[in-house]
Amino acid sequence: MKNKNQTHSLLTKKDIDKAAWSYIFFAQATQNFERMMGLAFCHVLEPVLKKLYGADSEEYKKALQRHMQFYNTEPQLGALIPGITIAMEEARAKGENISEELIVNTKNALMGPFAGIGDSMLIGTYSPILLSIAMSLCIHDGNPMGPIFFCVVWLSTVVWLQWFLFHKGYDMGIGAANLFFTNKALVDKITTGLTMMGLIVIGGVAATTVKASVIFQYVNGDMTLSLQEQIFDKIMPGILPLLLTLAVWYMMDKKKWSATKIVLGIVVFAAVMVFLGIM
Amino acid sequence: MTFFQALLIGLFAYLGSKRTPWFFGVAGGWNMIGRPLVAGLIVGVILGDIPNGVIAGAMVQALFIGQITPGGAMPADVNWAAYIGIPLALAAGGTGEQAVALSVPLSMLGLGLFNFIMTINAYFPHMADKSAEQGDGAGIHRATYLAAVPSFILRAGSAVLICYLGTPVAEMLIHGMPSGVLHFFEVAGKMLPAIGFAMLLKQSLAKQWMLVLFLLGWVMIGSTSMSVTALAVFATAVAIVFVMAQGEAKVPTPAAVQNTEEDDCYEE
Repeated sequence: MKNKNQTHSLLTKKDIDKAAWSYIFFAQATQNFERMMGLAFCHVLEPVLKKLYGADSEEYKKALQRHMQFYNTEPQLGALIPGITIAMEEARAKGENISEELIVNTKNALMGPFAGIGDSMLIGTYSPILLSIAMSLCIHDGNPMGPIFFCVVWLSTVVWLQWFLFHKGYDMGIGAANLFFTNKALVDKITTGLTMMGLIVIGGVAATTVKASVIFQYVNGDMTLSLQEQIFDKIMPGILPLLLTLAVWYMMDKKKWSATKIVLGIVVFAAVMVFLGIM
Repeated sequence: MTFFQALLIGLFAYLGSKRTPWFFGVAGGWNMIGRPLVAGLIVGVILGDIPNGVIAGAMVQALFIGQITPGGAMPADVNWAAYIGIPLALAAGGTGEQAVALSVPLSMLGLGLFNFIMTINAYFPHMADKSAEQGDGAGIHRATYLAAVPSFILRAGSAVLICYLGTPVAEMLIHGMPSGVLHFFEVAGKMLPAIGFAMLLKQSLAKQWMLVLFLLGWVMIGSTSMSVTALAVFATAVAIVFVMAQGEAKVPTPAAVQNTEEDDCYEE
């Protein structure tokens, strides 16, 4: 604590707490296709910037403008980034050698990796785990404990996580950003580990979610052959939805199909298959 | 459905949409109230049928459990599925299957509304640009608050109108819908989540070989009785083993490098 007070002298703990709450509530509040989270980021930082630079200074106007630019990340895991940014602005206000470009570049360099990891860890892994536990509690008898369990666990952990990361970012300041850029090897290792974990879990969640089965039965005299049960399930349970998912990934990643085009493709495919009595 | 019930559903539809600050921002809104599972409970309470609401919510949630929206690109609009699909199915006397059948087309139509709001909301940063140039902090906050208005009008408004006026239509659809069409929505609805996973793969496959990890996870759940939580523990172990096996030589602090290089030969 003592060490912290020495390095951060212009802002009080109350300022940071206020900014953290403002971020938790407003981070995604202005999302749009042009700047994504840009305006909200400026909204969160404004009281801090005013205190650091003074309401009528040129520096304050310039600071507002640099935080109005395009900004986009996964807002929950990305709570670290505004914390770091505030610490950098504070250092700049104290006359340390931190240029406008450094602040903007740090934000821009961090937002990509945090979007990737945040989407796969929080939205792709953590949330589906909680949702599938909750669904198993209630999908058969409609027990309200299912959704209540999800709300309590999700909200308490994720709000705490954002609060923690925001303050952590501020405490470490430019050090956190430096850690990120100078220890490229270590960061790559952590990113690889998290990505690997995310991919395995997402594979499992996908297996419980994506479904496709063939109802067509081949009848020849007394013999009835169910393609699904006697062929596809014997090869591997869930082989059809797996092939479907891989095909969709291939079309999007390699053939650059848009999501809308894929949606239409699946709808038409399903219509034809149902019409022919295959699925 | 009474108008007052539709009004309440519309209010929660707004609270569960993207861009709502009211309840712990994106964590409590879009990622919680907006989830079909939670919507099922809320709609169940409003319409006075909690068990059926929760079941319908869980079944619609299954369609969207892995829905990720990288960079704001959305494969389907969960909001309309949750706050129009579920209430209409319940009000029309349907169950989970009917909620799924209504949710699939609604989630595609809702995508238009989502993209429309994302586009018109680009007006507000321009409004705030002028305030930023003049050093008018209050103007920036005003633009941020005003950005909630189109969301509120369009999200709440569309849900109230469609829920209130759509109940007879939904009754007609659900009771008059040929079983083939109902079956088609079920088949399409269960295949559509593939898109969300494909988008996530596209984003997170740093190296092509990592695709085997996705296959591994799929096979573990698909071919055994393992739960997702158990898989998460397994996945953590695999990731840690991989990172450890790469050796610690890359750890940047000089002392650590020396130690591990010596240790590597003898202890491991």
